[in-house]
Formats: sequence, C-alpha cells, structure tokens
Amino acid sequence: MAYQIGVVTVMAIAVGTAGSLAAIGFVEAVHYLNDRLLISPYARVQADNQPGLVAAATLLVPALGGLLVGLVVQFLIRERRGLAPPDAILAAQTPGPTPGLGSGLASTLAALISLGSGASVGQYGPLVYLGALFGNLAGRLRLNLRHQRSIAIACGVAAAISTAFNAPIAGLVFAHEVILRHYSLRAFAPVTVAAATGYIIANVIFDRPVLFLVDFTRVEHSYEFLLFALEGVLCAGLAWLFVVLLKYSTHAGRRCIALPWARPAVAGLVVGIVALWLPEILGIGQETLRFATIRDAFGIGELALIVTAKLALTALCVGFGFVGGVFSPALLIGILFGALYGMVLPHLVPVPYSGLVVYAICGMMALASSVIGAPLTTILIVFELTRNYDLTIAAMVSVVFANVISYRAIGRSLFDLDLRDRGFDLSLGRDKAILGSRLIRDYLSTIYTTARGSHTVEAVRKRLVDEHRAEAMIVDEKGVLRGIVRLQGILDSPEGTPIDQLAIRAYTLFDEHTSVWQSMELLRGFLGEAVPLVSEDGKLLGVVPEEAVIRAYLEIVHELREEENEAA
Amino acid sequence: MKRPEGRVYLVLAAWLLSPGFAGSNPTGEQEAEVLTVATWGGAYEESQRRAYFEPFTAATGIAIRTVPYDGGVKDLENHLAAGDVQWDVIDMIQSDASVACDRGLLEPIDPGIIAPAPDGTPPQEDFMEGAIQPCFITQIVFSTVIAYNDRAFPGEKPDSVEDFFDLKAFPGKRALRRSPVGLFEWALLSLSVPREQLYDLLSTHRGLELASRRLDSIRDSILWWRSGEEPAELLASGQATMATGYNGRFFHARVMEGLPISVIWDGQLIGFNSWAIPRGTGQAEQARAFIGFATQTERMAAQANLISYGPTRKSAQKRIGLHTDMGVSMQPHMPTAPAHMDNAIFRDHHWYSKTLELREQWFQNWLDQ
Repeated sequence: MAYQIGVVTVMAIAVGTAGSLAAIGFVEAVHYLNDRLLISPYARVQADNQPGLVAAATLLVPALGGLLVGLVVQFLIRERRGLAPPDAILAAQTPGPTPGLGSGLASTLAALISLGSGASVGQYGPLVYLGALFGNLAGRLRLNLRHQRSIAIACGVAAAISTAFNAPIAGLVFAHEVILRHYSLRAFAPVTVAAATGYIIANVIFDRPVLFLVDFTRVEHSYEFLLFALEGVLCAGLAWLFVVLLKYSTHAGRRCIALPWARPAVAGLVVGIVALWLPEILGIGQETLRFATIRDAFGIGELALIVTAKLALTALCVGFGFVGGVFSPALLIGILFGALYGMVLPHLVPVPYSGLVVYAICGMMALASSVIGAPLTTILIVFELTRNYDLTIAAMVSVVFANVISYRAIGRSLFDLDLRDRGFDLSLGRDKAILGSRLIRDYLSTIYTTARGSHTVEAVRKRLVDEHRAEAMIVDEKGVLRGIVRLQGILDSPEGTPIDQLAIRAYTLFDEHTSVWQSMELLRGFLGEAVPLVSEDGKLLGVVPEEAVIRAYLEIVHELREEENEAA
Repeated sequence: MKRPEGRVYLVLAAWLLSPGFAGSNPTGEQEAEVLTVATWGGAYEESQRRAYFEPFTAATGIAIRTVPYDGGVKDLENHLAAGDVQWDVIDMIQSDASVACDRGLLEPIDPGIIAPAPDGTPPQEDFMEGAIQPCFITQIVFSTVIAYNDRAFPGEKPDSVEDFFDLKAFPGKRALRRSPVGLFEWALLSLSVPREQLYDLLSTHRGLELASRRLDSIRDSILWWRSGEEPAELLASGQATMATGYNGRFFHARVMEGLPISVIWDGQLIGFNSWAIPRGTGQAEQARAFIGFATQTERMAAQANLISYGPTRKSAQKRIGLHTDMGVSMQPHMPTAPAHMDNAIFRDHHWYSKTLELREQWFQNWLDQ
C-alpha cells in the first residue's frame, strides 16, 4: 500500500516535471523560430526598413516550412501523420501498441517546424501529445501499478496543459475529461500531483504572458445571459462549419496532390500569399487575440474577414498535413467571432451591454470547447486566468449551449470524430468503445466437435453424444468451415446420409477482427451453443461459446467500473 | 592591501604621465584642460556636477564643461558630421547608445577602466546585467512618469495612466515630450493592455493605429516639452495639470523647491542612461578616465543621494541613504522602490533601438494629421 502511494507519487512528479519542461521548451522554441524567421510581429517590425525581406519571408517561410514538415512526416514518422491528442486518448484507453518514441519525437519536430514557420495550426495539441509521450514512457517501467499507462499518460497531459495555460485545475480536469474519461481517485490523485508540479515549474521558470488578461468587473444586466446562450449556439454552428471545412480540405488535399509530402508546402504557400495582405493569420496570433478584447481595435468588416480567413486557412493547414493542433486556432477564431458578435449586437438589439470583453471571452471558450469536447476545462481556464466569477459564469452559459448543440451536430469533439474513423467509437461512452476495441478472438475455445462432410449422420450423432455436445463444425480437408450441424436437426435423419446434406449453411459467424461489442450484437436471436470463429481464408480457428461472450462482457465492464471506482 | 579604487587612480596616473599629456603642454605651462560633457541640464546636471564633475576636477585638475543634450541619436550624428568634434563624453539613453554604437558613432570603452566594488566584487558582478557594453557603460536607472499639479485637482486625485487620458474627470492640459518615446506605451496601457505585451502589440500596424487613435482623444490638450526641466515648470506655472517627465526632476521640484507636484507611479517607463564617448574626440583617453572615475561606487552613491535616480551597481545601491542637503530618505523616491514596480514598464531597448525610423515616421505622421 505504502509502496503503491509512494511509487505513484514519484511517477506523477517525474512525469509532471518532464511534461512541464518539455512544454516550456517547445513554446520557447516556437517563439525563437518565429522571431528568427520573421513570423512574429516583434521581429517583423524590426526589419521594417527592409520591406523586401519581410515580404520574401512571409511568402517563403511557411511554404519551405511546409516542405520540411511533409518530408519529416513522410520519412521519419512511421504512422505518416502527425501524432495528436487522439493518439494519447487511444493509448490511455486501450492496452494495444502505441506509436514509438521515434515517431513521437519526429511528430514533435514536425509540429515545431509547422508552428515556427507560421502555419495556422495550434500548439496545445502537440504539447498534449508530448506530455502523453513521457507518460507512455513511464507506463512502460516495471513498477507493478494497476492502470499504470493510462495514469502516467494523464499525468503528462495534465502537466503540459497546466504549464501552457498556467492553469493547474484546467490541466487536471482536461486529463480526466478528454484523456481518461472517468474520475477515479486512483487516477485523480497522481494527476493532481502532476498538474501542480507543472504549475510550480511554470511559475518558477516560465516567463510568458498568460493567454489572456482582461479587465472586467461584472455582467451588468441579467438579460445578457440569454445573449450568451445564443452566442453559444452560434459558436456551435461555427464549430460545425470548421469540422466540415476540415473534412473537405482533407479530401481536397488527397484528391488534388498525389504526393503526400508536397501537401503542407502548398498549404504554406497559400498561407504566405494571404499573409502578405492579412498578416494576422500567420502563426498562433497572440497579438490578434489580445486586440480582440480591446474596443475599437477592429472594424466589423475587418473582424468578419479575419474570422473567415483564419477559419479557412486553419482547415487548409490541418487538412493538408501541417502538424499541429486545432485548439489555439479555435480560441483565436472564437474570440474574434465573440468580438464580432459583441460589436454587431448593439446594432440589432439596442439595449445596454456590459462591454465587448465578456462576449469575446464567451465566443472564445464556446467555440474551443465544442471543437475539443472539453466544456469543463474551458470553463476552468477562464476561471483560473481571470479569477473573475461573473466572467466564468457567462462563459459557462455559452460553453454549455455550444456543447449541447455541437454534440448533436458533430459529436463530442474533433478528437472523437478522428478516433471513430479509426474504429474506436466513444460516442456511446467508454463501455462501447472499449468493448469495440477488444477482440472476441481472445476468448476462443479450441475444444469443439468437428466432422467431415462425408461422415454419416450416425457417426456424427455418436460422436456428439460421446462428447456431450449438441453442435459439430463441418470442415473440409483444408480446415475450411463448410457448415454446422446441430444434434436436434439430425435426430431423425437416416443413419447413412452424408452429414453434408443436412448441414446448416446460414449461421452466426465470428472472424479474427470481430470485437466483443460486435459479437454481442451478432448474438441477438442466437440459439446454439457456440459460435465458430474463422480466419480470413475461412479456416476454422475455434469456437466462442455463448458463455464466453457473456464472460468477456462482464470482465471488461467490471474492469472499467473497477478502474473508475478505485481508491488511491 | 590595495584599495579597489586604486586601479582607477592608476589609470589616471598613467594618463597624467603619458606623452599625450606632456605633449599637450609643450611650454610646460599648466594650461587648464577642459573636458566637454554633453548632458541633460537642470537638477540632473546639478547632481552630476556635485557627484562627478567637481570631484573629478579636484582629483585630476581637468575642468568639466557641459553642453546641453536632450536625447536622441540625431543630435550626435549632426555634431559628428560637422567635423570638429567638441563633445568628449555623452550621457545617452541606453537604446540611443546602442544605435549609436551600431552606427559607429562611439569610441570603444575598455571595461578594465571600471573599478571593482569597495569589497572587491568585480564590476561584471556588481553592475546589473548588460550594463557594461563595448562602447557604453550604463550607469543610472531613471523613469519617465506621469505627474500632476496637486492643486489642480482638489477633490479626487488621478492615480493611473487611464486618468491621464480622461479629460472629463481630470480636465486641463497634458504636457508630453515631443518625441516618439513612451506615448504609445501609455496609450495602450490606458486601454488595459498588459505591460508584458505592449511591445508585441506595438509591433503591429494595428497597435500603432490604436495608439494614434487613443492620442487623438487628447490631441487638443497636449503641450509639448523638449528639455527635462520643462515639465515641472509647466505644472508649477499651472499651464498644464498633468505632465510626463523624468522622476528625478519631479522629485527635485517637490522636495527641493516645495512645488505641489505629485507623481503617479502607475505605468512608469523605466529606462537607463549610459556614459559614452563620441568617436573622433581628441580627448578619448581623458574621457575614459572620467568614465572610470564616475562609475566608482562612492561617486554613483553620491549622485543617488542628490537626485532620485537609481545607480546600476549593487554596491552603490546599498549606499543610498538620506538626501545630502534635505535629509529626506531617498529609497522611497527611487523608480525601483518595490511599491512603484507593480505596473512599471521596462522600456524594451532592443525594440527601441531597432524601430527608431519607424517611431519617428509614425510620430511625424500623427503630428501632421
């Protein structure tokens, strides 16, 4: 017991420290590259007397960055795509193999180049994956802890978010809400330790201004909560549009450019061309994010233009294979949209308002929470960064309405959509997803009765009686399943009839890829003893008794409940 | 054991015995030598005279003459372009010195001329980071602050940068330095931009636009000042109700002259002044000797006890006590006093030195509008 608590705590601190330091290093490296490559306004203004240089950098840096990203993804990442939060979720939820350390580091490098060269992608996705990478490493140590891997991954992710946002509670909740999907005390305790570690490290050595600092006293009028709710609904629509654009851009990329490694370069070139005229869309856009909360920084038309451009270019960059997240772009698009909403409202409904800031923040959190499926996390980010109760409650209303709608329209999050495409469907909860990811093959029994098609009814009947079974599998000389025969079906048949003639041809069948969930679905209306399981070429590998399917279900669900209810 | 200051006196002695010195007096007559220092006038220059110039003359026999200088690189450039270099030492804002150094307007300075602290701490550790540069030595921390005439606002007193832009609550003229320094920081700060992000936002076109529009709101109430002593005068005479200016000058007006001037520390713009030597001066050796003398711990502390500018070396900071004449405690008047640091802006010297032309052009455009 003491061993458990001690080891878990040490692991949480170690993973938290690694995740936090990696997050700091990553963010600093992105800033360094942005300054060196004339992406950040701070660097661009200092080269103001060389307009040719700035224009050339704007045009070429994202394109060349894209080319490098394409090559890294193609040749250094085994999965041939950037690794992202869905990979972290999968690694925490299922015991299967995970992308290797080499792939993880190469993916981080690709993300660094993407962000460093000004592509319109986010930094938090790669940070989450980086945290998960350290968690995964710790998960491999022989510490003899239960659910070691998932807890360690959650620790790494919590520390990364806690550091990046300077918001430990949000980091803690994010790890549970998005990665673990349950709240057991056993996971909660170490994840809290890791999040706190990240926070402490961030405070000691990380010298970046927080994501947003706003000046807001309180919501002046109660009717504004209706407007926050409406804003949430509109943001859900925007999230839906974002997902549709992303899907469309991914397809367009595959259709139009045959070479996968060339796609990011093309997206980079487009980013560069647009940035010549609209520099706000380059990179993470911290300055633009700040301006959104300042009255009069933008005109209405300008805001609408930047929202549209950023939305389209983020979909382009992510769809065409730049490596990076969607959370930071969603935050930026959301805050700009919120500011736009706050500016347009007084023209539509002429009543007093509490100012632009609250609408901007509501938009930011509503859109971002719909995209990453983390309403609690986003509400807590507002709370931890502003420590303002009124602002948090306003954001909460928007976030909840956005999530209610977007959940129906697009699903819980972009991550879950991605996982569903990869065959891990969390839309009906963890039970279904885990049952869907475990194979019934693991419950295979090789004790069954076989017969050849040429065997007579009498011979088969005798063997079934001897072996106390009611079913026999009919296979040919190569072991391929030809049919099954049930004792009740051959009781009255003439003794000499070849069994082949009496075989049942339509029956329930599992294959090597049948999951526990599918096997349960297939068993509806099943009356026999056991279901045959065949290989891809039809060879009988064994049978799965009905009892085994029930056992599989009970075991998995029991395991999940146990994980979710474990004490420290 | 040799006193730490001994090294400086050695430098001085070496110079006094050098052939250059002997050569300048071929007749052997003790012709009074004069070193020309370009500096900022008023109470600040007075503090320099007492802490540096007079003791230097006493120690070396070299008289000090001052010429007025109000900052910027252009004045130095013009002076050097004229051919006959008269300025031997110049007291520059750090970012200007950095630009001047890059443009080759300054003589190199050997860090060996700087004396260690009295306890033997080497200068590199005693001075704040980045103070000792190849062609300038950063010596004081000063601050540009907003001050107001206390009698102009008998009721509620202004206490923030935002109030500076609030003509309704705090009516009256605003005195601002006619130079693209500080204006845009305060304009954005008054819009609740956090100080950490000021220079990031000011690097964008939108940021400068926003600052322009903010300044437009007080355009008709602005009085411009150029030299350091003017703001206190404008406040004292009632011509302006609020003014930006150097904290030491306001300190002098309040404490030494008893004028009703109060300082708002919110949004104070912290900057640094540096000693430098214009390139081409015939008295570079004497200038180096002067800088070596003026950067000694005791001398820097002596200045800090005359005017509220903070010395950049720790050993001198520890010697700040009561004002030499008035007996007022100096620490609470220093820009770096902890209570003043909550919303202090550290002037980004790197940004300043790289955006000289942009700032000037922006300022001119705004004035022409």
